[in-house]
Parts: sequence; structure tokens; C-alpha cells
Amino acid sequence: MPTIAVDAMGGDHAPAAVVKGVAQVSLATDIECLLVGDERRIQSVLEGVSYNPEHIAILHAADAIDMAEEPREAIKRRDASLVVGVRAVAEGRAQAFVSAGNTSACVLACAKHFRLLRGVRRAALASVYPRQREQRGQDPLALLLDVGATVRCEAEELVHFALMGSAYARRVSKVASPAVGLLNMGSEETKGGEVLAEAHRRLRQLPVVNFVGNVEGNDLVRGRADVIVCEGLLGNVALKLIEGISEVLDDLTNQAAERRVAWRLGLRLLARGIEGLRALTDYTQYGGSPILGFEHLCIKCHGRSSARAIGNAVKVAAKAVRDHVPREIADALAAVR
Amino acid sequence: MRLGRVRPGATPASAAPLLCRWDLDKTYLRSEFDSLRSLLRTAFERAEDKVEVPGVAELIRALKAAAERHGRKALVYFVSASPPQIGAAIRKKLALDGVPYDGIVFKDQLAHLKRGKLRNLREHVGFKLAELLRGRLAAPPGAPELLFGDDWELDSLIYSLYADVVAGRLPPARLAPILRRIRVDPRLLDEILALAGRAAGGARVARIFINLERRSPPATFRLFGPRVVPTFNYFQTAAVVGADGYLDAEDVARVGRVLFEGAGYTARALENSLADLVRRGVLEPAAADALGARLRATGVLPPGDEKGARWRRVLGALGRLRRRRRTGAGRAGETPALDYDAILDRAAAASGRSS
Repeated sequence: MPTIAVDAMGGDHAPAAVVKGVAQVSLATDIECLLVGDERRIQSVLEGVSYNPEHIAILHAADAIDMAEEPREAIKRRDASLVVGVRAVAEGRAQAFVSAGNTSACVLACAKHFRLLRGVRRAALASVYPRQREQRGQDPLALLLDVGATVRCEAEELVHFALMGSAYARRVSKVASPAVGLLNMGSEETKGGEVLAEAHRRLRQLPVVNFVGNVEGNDLVRGRADVIVCEGLLGNVALKLIEGISEVLDDLTNQAAERRVAWRLGLRLLARGIEGLRALTDYTQYGGSPILGFEHLCIKCHGRSSARAIGNAVKVAAKAVRDHVPREIADALAAVR
Repeated sequence: MRLGRVRPGATPASAAPLLCRWDLDKTYLRSEFDSLRSLLRTAFERAEDKVEVPGVAELIRALKAAAERHGRKALVYFVSASPPQIGAAIRKKLALDGVPYDGIVFKDQLAHLKRGKLRNLREHVGFKLAELLRGRLAAPPGAPELLFGDDWELDSLIYSLYADVVAGRLPPARLAPILRRIRVDPRLLDEILALAGRAAGGARVARIFINLERRSPPATFRLFGPRVVPTFNYFQTAAVVGADGYLDAEDVARVGRVLFEGAGYTARALENSLADLVRRGVLEPAAADALGARLRATGVLPPGDEKGARWRRVLGALGRLRRRRRTGAGRAGETPALDYDAILDRAAAASGRSS
């Protein structure tokens, strides 16, 4: 069973939510978790919940990085839980890292302590999100990358992202030949400027990628592509837009229920459907965003992650380790060199 | 190899025996009582089909062997709230497991049925307390005791009441209202109080081990003081028994090996279990280190130690010592007077009823 290092002090609800999430995983699976953080605080949460000590180890880290800290300075603090956790993975004490802490600090710490896979120029932060299914048996989740690790990209980096996302979807989502789309402002291959046009040309020529061409904003939530590739700035805006719309819809539903009795009754009738929709758009079940391109895997969870979200992130990390995702990515890159 | 503070070898041959009292279901056996169907299946199960909790049989054998090796006796008794009708299967199961024992008591559930006292079928406090006190009166004076139960019913409460009674800290006048609040069978009440009066003083329950079969949070047992030790597996139990001086490192290693070889445990899982005891303040870091070194040498724990781990352990131990001073946690002998009202209040709140 893989060992997953978990940043116990990262996130808005740390360490309680993180420790509880790990405790839940310890009861339900054989995954070994290395909780990294203030031992006293971790232990105090742990003793108040059900857990299985056989699957939990604690690595003390006296310091923690705040969500709003300047990341470049923050990762210089060697005793910070995020840095200690990443180092533990780099030194072989664990095989993957999970954190709900400061995203930029997480990416930078990985960049500092993990080696990039051969051929990879920039790492990518990928995000798993729900989308409409266009075909029977299609995965309800798509992968968008990059969503913030590399703000501006060159064509070659976008090609690498396509290979990395494709490998991840093959291994983790078990999609045999993931459809890869390039996020652009039009379906024509010349749209979006030189970088995107060049990326389009190169992706079309790659036999190992099932490239379906450019996809537009409205395709993000449709089932046209399993993996959507873009530069970090664009990906981050798109992801936040999807999250925002989902939250606004939720608020509007609640407001409607409060406003009129007839609407409330109508919503009651639709309750099961709405619950299904909520379940689909509930980020806590997707287990966070993988940072791809390094020899080791890191799953970056939402800062607001609940115990459930952390638990699912640990399970996804373990699955990615078991399925040798970094090796799959390295093989994919080697095939096109 | 010496592990703990009471070295069995130092005990003279004429020393009082060690009394070990065990609950049966969920402590020794992996009994299923979750549904009527599983209850019936358990009742009619053959000895060959009964499954023991991993490591428990080896621990009992080790307790006997270690005591003998050091010139004393360990007497093993089972007190079970199961009906005597399943006694034959239980005795056969113990024989199959090669577990030596010196006595076994069952609860006569049929008598309660005949009297129409259905509530008494599930009320075990009175029955167990009475049997423990009877056992105490029949035992040699001064014999230390180790008690083993689980987190399914009220073993921690029953054992703590018993420990305080025999230590002379809970006189019958204080015990009576507690038992009334628990609604112990009134026909047993006078008998228990009489037994308590006779058994009071001079005896010592060294530890109460609670097998966390339901994975109850360890903090649940904080009100019972450091004498009650919740453990997640019998390797943890063996480690604490070893640190208390009733087992040698070889015995603890044997229990660990049984889990390792026969129950799917990994060396890492055992190492984590040991670290958990240290973090909870149950095991002194020095005792854990001594035991860990021995277990590493025998291959029960993973070999090697990463750079800097020793320093981390030292710093961790200092922090734990500071914490222990603040919280008052410590050795079993330092158990403060228990607040049984608070314990019962919480038990009532947990079961969702007012007592």
C-alpha cells in the first residue's frame, strides 16, 4: 500500500478537517497516511475521533504556511508542514503529497524539491470538474489543465500538458483514449494567436493523443473532451467561473425556496434531481487537483476542503501512485521525443 | 529482556499470582451481535467456526509463560455475559486455540427469562461486578490484576468500579447509588454490596485494557483515568503489558509476529501502533525505544532508522512530558478518584437516554 504524506496544517479548516479526513481513510482503506504538522494538535484531534492507528504516522512540523502568505518567502521556512511534507515525499518516506494549503506555495515547494520528469519543461496544475455526458459510459468528470501553475505557456508546454492530462485520465479515470481539446476562442485552427495555432498543429500530428481540436468556453461543461488544455491564467479563470456559476445557482435555488410556497413545493418535487445535481457539482468528492509533471505526485485540495474532500484526495493520490501515473506520463513523453 | 518497571524475574517464587480476567465476546472472540440473525448465528456457532481477535490467544499464552519463567503464576479467568448453553463450544474453542485458563463463568440468562426479567438479559454490570468480586475473594490476597474488556458495552465502567472497590476507594455506601443509577438488578444489589464490603482494600488492579473493537475514540475513555488503556490491537496491549513488567520483549515480539504472519498486519502497521501508544502518553518513550530496538532486531518492526529520527524522538518525548505534566496523565498507579456521575452522564448522553 502506498504512503501518502498529508499536510495536516494546510487549509481553512486545518488541522481538524484534515486529520478527520485521514482518520476516515484509515478506517476504510489500507492506505498509509503520514500526517505532517504540529504533533500535539494533530494528536488532540485524532484522539477525539474514530481512527485506525495502524495506518497513520505523524511527522512533526512546528511551522505552518498561511493561506495568504507570499509563497516564495513562505517555502524558505524549512519547518513548515507543507515544505516538510513535500521533502518527505522527495526523500522516499511517502509516495505522494496531499495539501489543502496555499496553492502557489504548494506548486513552488514541489518545483523546489521534486524533479521534473524527463522532457517536461513546466508542471501543470490540473483540475477535475463535472461536465455533461454526451455518450453512454462517458466519465462524468473532465480534466482541465493548467489552472494556475504556469501562467503563460508556449506551444510545446501545451503539448506536454496534453500528454500529461491524457496519461492521467487513462490511468485514474480509466478512459482508454481520452479526447483532448485545446481551449480557444473558436473552433478554427488558426484562432487564438500564434502559440495556440502552433499547439493545435503539433497536437494534430501526435498519434498518441486523441486530439479533437479546439474547444470553446461552452464546451468546457459539455462532454466533447475528457482533457482540456490551456495556459494557467485562462484555466484558472475558467475554473473559477464554473465554480462561481455553480454557487450562484445554489444560492438562487435557496432564495426561490424562501420566496414562494408554490416554488418551495416545486423544489420539493424536484428534490432528488437537485440533490443529484448538487452531488455532481460537489467538489468534495473529486479529491482535489493533481500537480502533474514531477517524478512525484501532489494533489492540491480546495482551501475550504472538508474531511470528506481530504479523504477523497488521499484516495485519489493512492490510486494515482498504484496506477503509476508519473511513469505513464514519462512514457508518453518519451514516445514523442 | 527487561522492558518495564516491574521485572517479573525479580519476583520471588512465593509471590502472589497475577490475575488476568477476560471478557469473552468482542474481547477474545470476534462475535457478531449487530443483528438478531448474527446473534442467533453466534449462539449456535461451532467451536471451529468461532474466530478469535488476532493476537489474543498468543497474549494469554505469553502472560502464562512469562509469569512461569519468572517464578510466579498467571491465573486466567473468563467472565462472560453469554449464556452457559454456549459454554461447550467456548471451552472447545479455547482448547483449539491452545489457551490455558483457570476458570470461566457465564451468565444464567435462562433464569432471567424464567423470571420474566427481560431487562436483566442486557444488564451486565451487576452480573460482572458480582462475579469479579467473588473471584477476588477466592484469590490469594495481594495478587495484582489485569482486566481485559472491549468498547461495546460497559466494561470500562464495570472494571473501574471493581478496581476502586478492591482498592478500598469506593466503599459500599458510595457504590450503592451508582449501581442504582445504572439500574442493576435489585436482587443482585445487596449481594454486590456485601461482596464489596468483604473484598475492599489491599488489592490492586494494575491495568484495565479496552479492546477498541468499535474503534471508539480513545478520548472517550479519558474520564476513567490512566488505569484504563484503550488499545486498537493486541500488539498494543502486549506492549503496555510488557512495559508494566508482566511480559518480556520476546513475548511482545511473539504477539506482534502472530499479527504480522497470520492476520495481515505489516511491520509498518505495528510500528505505527507503537508510536500511537507513545503519542497518547500510554507508553514512555524510553520503553517504546527499548521495545522497538528489540522488535527491529527480530524483524517484527521495519529495520533501520532515518537520519534525525532520534532527535525528533527526543524532542517529541520532551513535548509529551510537558503535556503529561499539564494534563495529569501518567501511570496507572496515579489514577485519580473517578467522577462516576460524570461518567454515567456521558454514557447516558451517548446512548441517547436519561439514566
